[in-house]
Amino acid sequence: MTHRLTRRDLAALLGAGAVSRVLGASQARSGRGRVGTAEIPPHARPAAFSRAVGDAVRRSTGMDTAEAAFRGLFGRRDTVGIKVNCLGGPRMSPRPALVEALVEWVAGAGVERSRIIVFERSSRELETAGFTLRKKGGASLCYGIDNDYDRAPTVTGKVASCFARMVSTTCTALISVGVVKDHDFAGVSAGLKNWYGVIHNPNKYHDSNCDPYVADVVRHPWIGGKMRLTVLDGGRAQYQGGPAFANRGVFDLGMVAASHDPVAADAWAWRMVEEERARRALGTLEDEKRAPRFIQTASRYGLGVGDVKALKVVGA
Amino acid sequence: MSLNRRDALGLCAGMAAGCLLPRAARGAKPIIGGSVDLQDLPAREASWYKKLEHLKVECGLCPQECIVADAERGTCGVRENRGGTYYTLVHGLACSVHVDPVEKKPFFHVLPGEKALSYATAGCNVECKFCQNWEISQFRPEQVASWYLPPDALVRIARQQGATMTAATYSEPTVFWEYVRDAAVAARKVGLRPLVVSNGYIKPEPLREVLPLLEAYKVDLKAMTEDFYVKQIRGHLKPVLEGLEIIKKAGTWLEIVVLLIPGLNDSEAEAVRLARWVKGHLGPDVPVHFTRFHPTYLLKNLPPTPVATLERSWSAARAEGLNFVYLGNVPGHRGENTVCPGCDQVLIHRVGFSVLKNRLKGGACPNCGRKIPGVWS
Ligand code: SF4
Repeated sequence: MTHRLTRRDLAALLGAGAVSRVLGASQARSGRGRVGTAEIPPHARPAAFSRAVGDAVRRSTGMDTAEAAFRGLFGRRDTVGIKVNCLGGPRMSPRPALVEALVEWVAGAGVERSRIIVFERSSRELETAGFTLRKKGGASLCYGIDNDYDRAPTVTGKVASCFARMVSTTCTALISVGVVKDHDFAGVSAGLKNWYGVIHNPNKYHDSNCDPYVADVVRHPWIGGKMRLTVLDGGRAQYQGGPAFANRGVFDLGMVAASHDPVAADAWAWRMVEEERARRALGTLEDEKRAPRFIQTASRYGLGVGDVKALKVVGA
Repeated sequence: MSLNRRDALGLCAGMAAGCLLPRAARGAKPIIGGSVDLQDLPAREASWYKKLEHLKVECGLCPQECIVADAERGTCGVRENRGGTYYTLVHGLACSVHVDPVEKKPFFHVLPGEKALSYATAGCNVECKFCQNWEISQFRPEQVASWYLPPDALVRIARQQGATMTAATYSEPTVFWEYVRDAAVAARKVGLRPLVVSNGYIKPEPLREVLPLLEAYKVDLKAMTEDFYVKQIRGHLKPVLEGLEIIKKAGTWLEIVVLLIPGLNDSEAEAVRLARWVKGHLGPDVPVHFTRFHPTYLLKNLPPTPVATLERSWSAARAEGLNFVYLGNVPGHRGENTVCPGCDQVLIHRVGFSVLKNRLKGGACPNCGRKIPGVWS
């Protein structure tokens, strides 16, 4: 059985505190195109992560403090899913210490730890990337989707997929935590493409530089309607050879970026990859016919600002 | 639970001994969908790929020609690049195993009334919006309950069940090509006839290599327009037509099925075009089955095909000179019968998947003596 969203579904998803509670409408609007960054060396100590994540999120929202920024993003009643992209294994995945720091900030906004779930496609991928699985207990949780998908496909644009119940049913708020990396087909894999990890058939959607498929997945209300924040761990980044880890394509970017605007976060990541490629006298992704066109498509869908020149990057 | 090759074989052997079929597997749990992680199963290096720079691979098994980065899979979801080597994840990993009458495939000119052990793995190289088997074809192997049934076990079950044929079917045999090949070899060794039921979306070389092992090949020709292939299937028409010619030339018995979908591929003009192409490129004796669509998967908004539409295509194809045109999914219709093109006598009387009467004598019409092409003994 396929599932097309009715007006009522949309109202339920969008009205019940998803986007509307986030920062207030006017602040959310002002957050469009705005990316907060903070320095974080590739081999940072655990304490440094908390500060860096807090600073990046604060800057991305324009709030006075990180506490206020997180309180504006999440509420007590939320169940927050943090989707990490661990495809790159232990060397090119978001660092567990950074994600732990993020969990603490979310908990600081009043969300019970047991309602904060760090997840990826499979538990195995999480473990490989260095995360410790926790399926119950008072602490925050961490486990894989492990094939727990809706039984019926949902059509969103050109994508027909079963979504993980984690996003369709369990969580009321979502955070995408990606890395900053080159992707052989998509061009760039950062926060948006991370959501391929919640559909059962991402292998079907890698033609045409993943365009418009990435944007189609993200615009589904189960993602777009619930996503509050994107955080990109750019301690080490990859300018070539992704999506798997490729030693020869790695560089130290030394930054974490955050944005309420998921498209802007990806546009920033694209810029970082292109700047490094230029430094190394490599052609642009466009030259290689793999510019991340899905970013512009997502922008056209109204999901955020995809124009690299229009970004407002607020750094240290 | 991690499973090494020996565990897997042991599990399979135990299962085969304890029951006849996985679906009826009293006590034999699927290993996928049970406690085994796909990544722990032995993967086999895939055939038909080449290594590219930066650990990428290019698959040459089907016209999708996927270029796959390290740690990623091809479009079919059952082939994975692990560090620059390409693997099939579904060799021996059957998700559906049933004994069916051969008419259900449908083959109407292959050993009528006999049984085929039908098997499939997860995965498909295209995405038909009207797929009847989308719950296995559109999923990855780790998402579908599956049993480890290497070729020898498959063949053993076939014999236990009284099947005279094996049939790779349900999802898309092209994507489990290595399993099909090895199962065909195993089947031949014990006198079983291997069949394939496919969308025909395969590259010429792998097709040519497997054909000599097979008794018969059925191709779903989805439409005669590129537009339909692009929009409804995410594939292309030309490679399918080329494949049909290769099968015919190889001498493997060929039948064609065309699912008529209201408003999409069911015009009389398209039936005429199809019939002319078949007659011109494959000859008038290749059976063509026009079958009835029922709403499913992503095309639930369309009605079932009216019987009158099926009859119109049936008549048009016969008028164009095709000798064996059938109707499918219309049980009891006279279009299910095999009729002698020489004297119009009913030779094989069918209702649904049952053969009520087979009057063929030595593969010929008992009335006028005309030879009827097919695999009759
Ligand atoms: S068989 Fe699979 S991996 Fe190979 S080209 Fe076809 S879809 Fe791609």
